[in-house]
Amino acid sequence: MSLTSLLLTPFVGALLVLLVPGNYRVIIRLIALLTTAVTAIGAICVFAAFHPGVADFQFEQHTAWIPAAGLSYHVGVDGLNIGLVLMASLVAFAATCVSWDIERQPKLFYILLLLMTGGAIGAFVSLDLFFLYFFNELALVPTFLMMGLWGRGEQKNYATFQITLYLTLGALVALTGLIALYGLSGANTLDIVVLKAWLAEKPLSHQVQALIFPLLLFGFGTLVGLWPFHSWAAPGYAAAPTATAMMHSGVLKKVGLYALIRVTLPLLPDGLAHWTPVIAWLCLGNIIYCGWLAMRQRDLALLLGNSSLAHMGFCFLGLASVSVIGVTGVVLIMVAHGLLAALSFGLLGHLVKVTGTSDMDKLGGLLRPLPFIGAALVAALMAGCGLPGFANFPGEITVMFGVWKTLPGFVVVAAWGGLLIGGVYMLRAIRTVLHGPVKAEFARVEDAGCWRKLPFLVLLGALIYFGVNPGSLVERIKPAVAEVVKAATAKSPATEAAHTPTATAMNTAH
Amino acid sequence: MEHANTTVTAAAPAFSSRPEDLAWFILLLPLIAAAGIAFFVRKSNVLSAVFSIGAVLAAFFLSVGLFITFGIGGEATVTTPFSWIHVGDLNVNLGVTVDRLSVLMLLVVTGVSALVQIYSIGYMHGDRSFSRFFSSLSLFTFSMLGIVLADNFVMMFVFWELVGLSSYLLIGFWYEKPSAGDAAKKAFLTNRIGDFGFLIGILMVWAATGSVSFAGIAHKLGADPAALGSMASIAGLLVFCGAMGKSAQFPLHVWLPDAMEGPTPVSALIHAATMVAAGVYMLCRTFFLYQVPAAWPGPLSFLGSISALDIIAVIGGFTALLAALIAIQQNDIKRILAYSTLSQLGYMVMAVGCGGPDAAMYHLTTHAGFKALLFLGAGSVIHACHHEQDIWKMGGLWSKLPVTFRTFAIGTAALAGLPILTSGFYSKDAILDAAITGGHPVLFGLGVLVAAMTTFYMLRLVIVAFFGAPRTEAAGHAHESPNSMIWPLIVLAVPSVAVAWLPLGDFLSAHFNPHFHPHEGGGIFGPFNHAPLAATFGTGALLFGAAAAFHLYWNAPKDPLPGQLGLIGRAMKNRFYFDEIYDGVLVPLHDMLARLADWFDRWIVSGLIIRGVHGSTELVGRALRLVQTGNLQTYTFMFAAGVAVVVMIALKLK
Repeated sequence: MSLTSLLLTPFVGALLVLLVPGNYRVIIRLIALLTTAVTAIGAICVFAAFHPGVADFQFEQHTAWIPAAGLSYHVGVDGLNIGLVLMASLVAFAATCVSWDIERQPKLFYILLLLMTGGAIGAFVSLDLFFLYFFNELALVPTFLMMGLWGRGEQKNYATFQITLYLTLGALVALTGLIALYGLSGANTLDIVVLKAWLAEKPLSHQVQALIFPLLLFGFGTLVGLWPFHSWAAPGYAAAPTATAMMHSGVLKKVGLYALIRVTLPLLPDGLAHWTPVIAWLCLGNIIYCGWLAMRQRDLALLLGNSSLAHMGFCFLGLASVSVIGVTGVVLIMVAHGLLAALSFGLLGHLVKVTGTSDMDKLGGLLRPLPFIGAALVAALMAGCGLPGFANFPGEITVMFGVWKTLPGFVVVAAWGGLLIGGVYMLRAIRTVLHGPVKAEFARVEDAGCWRKLPFLVLLGALIYFGVNPGSLVERIKPAVAEVVKAATAKSPATEAAHTPTATAMNTAH
Repeated sequence: MEHANTTVTAAAPAFSSRPEDLAWFILLLPLIAAAGIAFFVRKSNVLSAVFSIGAVLAAFFLSVGLFITFGIGGEATVTTPFSWIHVGDLNVNLGVTVDRLSVLMLLVVTGVSALVQIYSIGYMHGDRSFSRFFSSLSLFTFSMLGIVLADNFVMMFVFWELVGLSSYLLIGFWYEKPSAGDAAKKAFLTNRIGDFGFLIGILMVWAATGSVSFAGIAHKLGADPAALGSMASIAGLLVFCGAMGKSAQFPLHVWLPDAMEGPTPVSALIHAATMVAAGVYMLCRTFFLYQVPAAWPGPLSFLGSISALDIIAVIGGFTALLAALIAIQQNDIKRILAYSTLSQLGYMVMAVGCGGPDAAMYHLTTHAGFKALLFLGAGSVIHACHHEQDIWKMGGLWSKLPVTFRTFAIGTAALAGLPILTSGFYSKDAILDAAITGGHPVLFGLGVLVAAMTTFYMLRLVIVAFFGAPRTEAAGHAHESPNSMIWPLIVLAVPSVAVAWLPLGDFLSAHFNPHFHPHEGGGIFGPFNHAPLAATFGTGALLFGAAAAFHLYWNAPKDPLPGQLGLIGRAMKNRFYFDEIYDGVLVPLHDMLARLADWFDRWIVSGLIIRGVHGSTELVGRALRLVQTGNLQTYTFMFAAGVAVVVMIALKLK
């Protein structure tokens, strides 16, 4: 399966759904399910056929589009995005499965969901930054619509407004950065491969890099929920319909991080070095501050949203190390967290469906009536506080190993946040929602039936597979990471001068 | 050095026909059982028990085979066939270590686990989650075996956390009871504090030596003892933090007594014989870290030549004393045993700190046997008295529960260290001897004191619960437990006596010291020959403690001690208020920080910024409306101006 056909499958599915009359609900659902299943199988094939140990792009396809503007359709996968493509398509399949119960306007819902899927995969495989941006926007707009139309809770409108505002502004800032890169590099292209070769010859001056970098950091960072631009995330996910929360927190959030790594490491090494201390401090905002926020939540949805932000902190921490081990860990976490966030929000969706609330004070003792969903939720929450056996653990520990040699003080704080603060709120959630005597009104709520378990089993299976055998990801990831880290740490005279003071500043900081 | 004669086979083909590869089967059998129960035979209680017990028995017999092959004469080997994560300088393999230390521990874990699981058939009979219980026990056994066999720090940490998880699942087994849910949570989080230090310690050691494998680090430290630099002692103490959590050392001891909320077989397996021993085992496994010269970073340089081991010894000794004091004033039979376990673990940690990992492992082995026996005996008593756990509501049980009483008495004698006859005497003697030869006279005195207290509180338990007249109806009508519960007691009583005559101490000493020669004049009177001081004082402590207990409790209607001890007695009864201090200080501190962050987020970040952006967007929108004149010339002019600004900025930057 070529990347182009993988990318087109969801759009073809969306088109087919469009052609079916809206009252043929079962057919619409089946088309969507089949489309995402085909996409997922295709992605698994691509993942399996991907040669580990090779740094170059594989499955590459390249067609000129507007030569005058330097725009081209260029797709390919390497270690940075191969795992993300797999993760995105698995999450899309699971999200389609859990959407079976959408009763209101299912046709529009599935079209938007498939657009999100196609957009996310497109953003991951595009090697031309124009297309990366375009596909990301293509996936974001359905998010807002779905929240507004199918969202839940009293805060729905405000949360939708907030997430739209934040993400649109973030994307705009990132776009400004990309345009500046386009204009100032002089390469007349946004093709990442061409740009990289061009900038290796004629790097941008330190000042320019230091100016463009924050645009990308804060622009893309807002899409990820980088502290202090995080407050859209938790209420947003609480208000979003289940499938949207799964897709956005799992997949779309990773686009920002992915773009940050893909663009800044090879293209703006000096800018990155200049801003590393800021990233390191901000990531503690995510890990510690958002962890505390999660501790305070009485609503499981808000708790999960804040915990997801805390996990993103580890990604920024790994990025700040600019080391092969650290960045490999970041990519591992991105894949793992995508699966985990989707799993958590999917399970939450089931809880809300059967109990009508996500307020933890109203829930309790649910493990008895919901053995499967409850056990899966225990697994998800445990994975969320870094339990080995799930894919998040190898990611987080790899990040800590990678960062230890440059920023040990930050690792200590991050480990406290991950092991302790994470443990506190996750175990509190298990204690209040699942343990204890079951409340009378929930004694007969319905557990997931036979095939309703499928999406959760797929996600859990992937989490455990990569948790037990992280080597299958690491071997694919590390050559590409080694390549971008080499580009990011190649010493130009400007870097030397700028790096020394920051390094000393960091050392005195702890 | 422990690993001096270790052969390392890297990247060997998986599962060749070498005997040490049996270790993989030992490790994986319980996991297969756990998964098999969870996925396939959940509905059948019989099949669940068969799967679980079959797997652990098979693992036990394989362990016996390994013990014969490697324990006696065989050379230690490390097999690392699978690469887990390999990126940059970080190289983590999945490997197993097969040497005297691990084969002995394999025997302890699989042996006790098998007996406890057989006992559970009777104890858990009729529980609605019977199969879940066996599945969790198998998962626990798997995790524990992983710790035993791990050949590197990361793998040990992985299984360390998995042991934490399975312990969480088992303590919270009756999760509908709020106290069980709370206890499980507390155990997991307290352990996490220790794991935090452990993880940082691992990172530190890796950064200094470039390796996470035990053999690799030991080799590096053997070549260059100063490789850890000024952080040597700190790194050792951080790794010790992990042991403090799992082995419940002060100040992380608070979770263990609460963990008694789990079913009694769980208390016997996890919180007496195996999981809590993991910390001591880990210290022995990584003892090479503590053999390097003491070194402290600048601000701590006043510590001078005090080594990490010294600090460990003091923490162990303090825990032993503290827990023994608390045990004297507990009335719940399981809590007395829980504090006794804490105290004995402190003993073992103290032994490691005094430079006697062999003594610690010796005591760990004997203690695993007799403490599991005591817990299972307590379970039998509780079962017979209709779930009554207060010893002051028992009495006269010796004639009603004859087998339970006799085996419990043997366990008590072993714990108290009855000379010549019991295993506990020899291992306790080894620890006291280690304190003397390690140059810690104060800790030796403390050890003797704790030994006297141990005899005292155990005899208090036995006298009050088993002798005198029955104090309640339930105790009067008690019946002996079913056979599946009685037989494990009898089997466990054997090693409490028989291990006494095995040269286990020498076996272990030879592991830690290749130049070790067995003492002249060994045999069962050995301790009186080569360590007369330790043996004499140990025996004296036993006699003193026994005399005091008989004097105070024989035919006592109620506890005379609280009246005599006054305030101190109250403090002992209330566990020196540690739980209250933690609940009153640590928890609110984090909650307060969380509250602060939440307030900040709600009112500053969301409030001001969002509403600010909202407001300013509206303002900008109004301003922009003024610009939208509909006049094409104005637009052209603004477009040109915009381009000019961008070009100017671009030129300036270049």
